[in-house]
Amino acid sequence: MSGEIDVIGSFANEEMCVHAIEELKDAHIQPTRVFAPIPSEHINHALGYGRSPVRALVLTGGITGILTGFAVTIGTSMEWWLNAGGKPIVSLPPFIIIAFELMILFGGTSAVLGFLLNSRMPQIDPIPGYSERFSSDRFGVLVRCPESEKDRVEGILKGAGGETVVHEAA
Amino acid sequence: MAAAAEPVSGPTYADIDRGVRKIMEAPGFVYWVWVGFCFTLVAIAAALWTRQIYVGLGVTGLRQGPMWAMYITNFVFWVGIAHSGTLISAILYLFRTRWRTAVYRVAETMTLFAVLTAGLFPIIHVGRPWYAYWLLPYPNERSLQPDFRSPLVWDAFAVSTYLTISALFLVMGLIPDVANARDVAKGWRKTLYTILSLGWRGTDTQWQHWSMAYLLLAGLATPLVLSVHSVVSWDFAMAQLPGWHSTIFAPYFVAGAIFSGVAMVLTLLIPMRKIMHLEDLVTEWHIDNLAKVVLLTSLIVSYSYGVESFIVWYGKDPIEMMTFHERYFGPHGWVFWVCIFCNCIAPLPLFSPRVRRNTVVLFIITIFVNIGMWFERFMIIAVSQENNFNPSQWAIYHPSITEIMITVGSFAWFLGLFSLFARFMPIISMTELKEGIHWLREAVRDDYYPGLK
Repeated sequence: MSGEIDVIGSFANEEMCVHAIEELKDAHIQPTRVFAPIPSEHINHALGYGRSPVRALVLTGGITGILTGFAVTIGTSMEWWLNAGGKPIVSLPPFIIIAFELMILFGGTSAVLGFLLNSRMPQIDPIPGYSERFSSDRFGVLVRCPESEKDRVEGILKGAGGETVVHEAA
Repeated sequence: MAAAAEPVSGPTYADIDRGVRKIMEAPGFVYWVWVGFCFTLVAIAAALWTRQIYVGLGVTGLRQGPMWAMYITNFVFWVGIAHSGTLISAILYLFRTRWRTAVYRVAETMTLFAVLTAGLFPIIHVGRPWYAYWLLPYPNERSLQPDFRSPLVWDAFAVSTYLTISALFLVMGLIPDVANARDVAKGWRKTLYTILSLGWRGTDTQWQHWSMAYLLLAGLATPLVLSVHSVVSWDFAMAQLPGWHSTIFAPYFVAGAIFSGVAMVLTLLIPMRKIMHLEDLVTEWHIDNLAKVVLLTSLIVSYSYGVESFIVWYGKDPIEMMTFHERYFGPHGWVFWVCIFCNCIAPLPLFSPRVRRNTVVLFIITIFVNIGMWFERFMIIAVSQENNFNPSQWAIYHPSITEIMITVGSFAWFLGLFSLFARFMPIISMTELKEGIHWLREAVRDDYYPGLK
């Protein structure tokens, strides 16, 4: 036992949740985890998050798709010079269509893979502090702190409008 | 000090959850009879397809001249139906359109099943389905590769990309909602939703990456939806055949696709809303806005009909002139006039707000649009081939019972899959309704739907 404890506050709406995060940060306490039933830019902003690295993966996937599209079309055309109606063997306008479709395919697949990798999903183990209401109609703020800090954290969460504040061993 | 949670008027997060979870309760006897009926028709269609594979394409009405007919009509029709799903789920998401939240999951589900249905038809049409993989580039001993200058190969890439991206987009949106369903489910449903939700708990990092991935998927799906039906239209426009060889086909097909697809969303949504008592979540505000999209796209399609005919008249090419004369007044001339009535005239009453909010009348109009758009595809694909440059190839196409029953089977397959999904998965996005709950409450406050009071 490390002497740490999880304090979890439950909030009725997004504004209160954001307020609680700000109050904690003003007290120099970093929330360990926030649960929400909806995506919230305000929560991300309050937590000080930047942009997700998923976008870099999507860009990489998209560029890979374009290169793959041109490699497949030009490569296979050069493998066997099939003259169809005198059209150029390497005819870029139609090949752009294939490159475009593969850009979307690789980019989209990268978006989903990027999300799964960065979120560490699929996740089998339960996440500490999760309550079933956090997927439905409540927002949760979890702070992992030394036991000696418990009362102070509880006080901040209640003061910010926490409906219920519970604690469990970390 | 934060203020205490104030009481709100209108639906709450819990109301939204209750409304959607109610749909997912164990279905009754009538539901299973309906699903059984759909899959019986699918079984009949499958038996006839098996016979077609065994006997050959002689069991169809295909002949010299009209070699593409009902199967390709179904392919184009179902790809078109799929398009509005992506329009509502991706394009309107990027524009932050308020009314899409309650209806987008229905549209996106429809997209996936419509593309699945569409994808079957080129395989059914080729006669020897075991050679369908020839469209893909794969290493082989004679270095034979597909001709990437052919629109049919573009189509294989476009439609398979569309199927993949639509499925990913649907699954991404489903994850938080399935997790919501998991938390209250019991028995085998709990196991199923636990697996499908992939361990989602709605943490800050999960939402951060989910939001970015979802936004970028929407951004990628937007040009994709425009490209796919353009590529489908080039299957025809790239050919020299009179009636097909037209430069306006890409925008014309995309507008028609959105028109037919939004009409199909309404065809599915109106009875579903009534049967499952979803009036609190899918309000008149949502229905009204969908009806406006049907009206707008109907006007674009009507304009396209006019422009297509004008170009032929202005060009004065005798073969084109003859083809279009036959299209209007030939043996299949009635098909053209059915299109004009269903696609251009029947939607005009939607200019009236009262008609847009009368779900019975709206449902009837959308049925007309579905019929009209199927016949539009048939007119372009089959009827255009009945007259060619070469009189020896002139022939009238008569569909066989095999083609008709496989077409009926495709509708049953689509409706059966959709019905199964609607009962076992969250068919309305709880997450997005909650995100836009202020708009839903506004719609209620503005008396858009008094039943919510």
